[in-house]
Amino acid sequence: MSTAETFLDSSELVLNMGPQHPSTHGVLRVILKLDGEKVIGTECVIGYLHRGVEKIGENRTYVMFAPYVDRMDYISAVSNGLGYCLAVEQLGGYVAPPRAQTVRVILTELNRIASHLLWLGTHALDVGAITPLFYTMREREEVLKIFENYCGARLTTHAFRIGGLQYELYDGFEDQVRVFCERMLTKLDEYEELLTGNRIWVNRLTGVGIINAADCKRYGVTGPLMRAAGVAADLRKLQPYSGYEQYDFDIPTRVNGDSFDRYVIRMEEIRQSVRILRQAVERIPTGPVMAKVAKVLKPAIGEAYVSVEAPKGELGYFIVSDGSLHPYRMRVRPPSFLNLQALTEMCKGALVADVVAIIGTLDIVLGEVDR
Amino acid sequence: MPEEPKPAGPPTQMASTLWEGDLPTTVKAAFGERLLESACYVNQNFFVVQADAVIPLIEFLKREVDFDFLVDLTAVDYPKRAERFELVYILYSYSRNERIRVKTSIADGVVPATATTVHTTANWLEREVFDMFGIRFAGHPEMKRILLPEEWVGHPLRKEYGITQMDNNWVKENLGIESGQ
Amino acid sequence: MSKLKQLFRTFFLVDLLEGLWVTFRNQHPKHIYTEQYPSERPQVAERYRGAPRLNNNPENNETLCISCNLCAIACPENLIVVGWERNPETKRKDLIQFTYDVSRCMFCGLCEDACPVDALELTQDFELASYTREGQVWDRQMLEEGPYPVKYKS
Repeated sequence: MSTAETFLDSSELVLNMGPQHPSTHGVLRVILKLDGEKVIGTECVIGYLHRGVEKIGENRTYVMFAPYVDRMDYISAVSNGLGYCLAVEQLGGYVAPPRAQTVRVILTELNRIASHLLWLGTHALDVGAITPLFYTMREREEVLKIFENYCGARLTTHAFRIGGLQYELYDGFEDQVRVFCERMLTKLDEYEELLTGNRIWVNRLTGVGIINAADCKRYGVTGPLMRAAGVAADLRKLQPYSGYEQYDFDIPTRVNGDSFDRYVIRMEEIRQSVRILRQAVERIPTGPVMAKVAKVLKPAIGEAYVSVEAPKGELGYFIVSDGSLHPYRMRVRPPSFLNLQALTEMCKGALVADVVAIIGTLDIVLGEVDR
Repeated sequence: MPEEPKPAGPPTQMASTLWEGDLPTTVKAAFGERLLESACYVNQNFFVVQADAVIPLIEFLKREVDFDFLVDLTAVDYPKRAERFELVYILYSYSRNERIRVKTSIADGVVPATATTVHTTANWLEREVFDMFGIRFAGHPEMKRILLPEEWVGHPLRKEYGITQMDNNWVKENLGIESGQ
Repeated sequence: MSKLKQLFRTFFLVDLLEGLWVTFRNQHPKHIYTEQYPSERPQVAERYRGAPRLNNNPENNETLCISCNLCAIACPENLIVVGWERNPETKRKDLIQFTYDVSRCMFCGLCEDACPVDALELTQDFELASYTREGQVWDRQMLEEGPYPVKYKS
């Protein structure tokens, strides 16, 4: 668009979105370069929540660092803990007992549901549907109650320990999970009634923030975003950990890779998580919950990269051990960080109002982006 | 628990085994002497190459063997070694369902080539490495800090940087407090 | 046909009515989850990790703590300080002082896991607010008696 001959100067406008903007879910600052209402360039300014988790990891012992990983992606703390415990177990040569593995799967899947529910509520709020937030929060409360009963904390759970679990299951755990599964499925239908057929919702999301499979690979995007673009990439299937190979579940995929597909994928993932939960809760083995782990944990010199499928994508831990009490290097591969990197690509040509929807469906948690 | 930076000591030896198979043979044939080691530790395979061979190797792996996904790029600081920093590239192939690492060592002040030419993912990851370790990458489109403020002095993940250390001048100037502690 | 159906749905606002039906159903009192805090206090789980407490032996009201310092070693934030003195008669360590900085605590539970005699425990008290930072540094007396939250009448 040429600017010289127009009466009104239609030159580019730079607009700051954030760092305190309700739709950025934290403190993310996006600098938008606009041509009218069209976005022609974006730049993310991050780091407002940087706490130096990797540096803290190098200065704590392996056992002590476990509560800190909960504070990266604080709405899916259990997945973070699982990844960390698996990484240290791989490095130290420990294997969690079968009972611990099954309980880990149950709690992680519950956490996945909680994370997706929170995403659904807040994202719907972003694009103008207020009601689902109250309903998803209500269902999420059920999950948090299970966490609270199991390990005594609701959000930053510190549920797992290296080598297994600290806590034995409480009485009525299985029943509570069963009741939740039953309830969740009916409630999911309710959300779909509110949203999937809703014309405003559909029009607001369809064709917004498209990213195709090739770009996903180019930008390192993982998780529901990649599955919405048609790649059946899920580490639970590709490289099963913690006994995921025993469960029968599907990896939902879509083809368009737009915001609406990502919504559908996450709804379907909740259903699949319920499927896993129902299988897992029926076959919790008996036995110990903790492997024999040395009190003074000193893994041999070496390094390992272990990743799990967190609700946001591939969450990896790269730990270098120098044979001492502390990790020599603790690297976290945060899924949100790399998913956010693709924002520039997804926002190209979008309208300003769509940026909100795109950031929403990215499902980023700034605590994890900044660490 | 400890408030002091712990005394940094490089690991003397990792008990890795030789990685044998088609892939190391192919890479060895293509890179010859520049491939220093192909090893395996806790069932995870990795290549160690000379610093100038990293980008060609990643490109080779992407083009020929379909390792088309850069999972992570990071660095490890070994202050006592002559070649102080170890760069680690973690690659994944969806078609082979296999994950490998490519490692190389560089000295402080050396400017390695950027991986953004091969994988766009490396953009932010290299910025983070620069932010945390002070390694600049040649040819990177936007070599600036990402997590810390632009004017910050120091690179926190270097081993000599203490756990409670900070850029006091920056804190005083921008936050108006004596110390962040 | 589907076009006609779509038109029908658009004209009679079927989507809207469906949505309203969902919200109407959820008005039923059994779906209400809001807690009327503080007049109605929630019952937290038995394992809840809240305010720390230093337990006394219920029989003779002496502290259970054996001043072994394991909690202080286990704490990732290094916020527990155990002060003790060697008793020359019994040759045991007597607990003199116990400081716990709640403001830095992340309630991870590692200290209570480390305690060999179940003296230090994270309890169900969750109202920890105070007006000063110093008020968050709990001494032995505070740890033994627990916090005093204001009780509101309903």
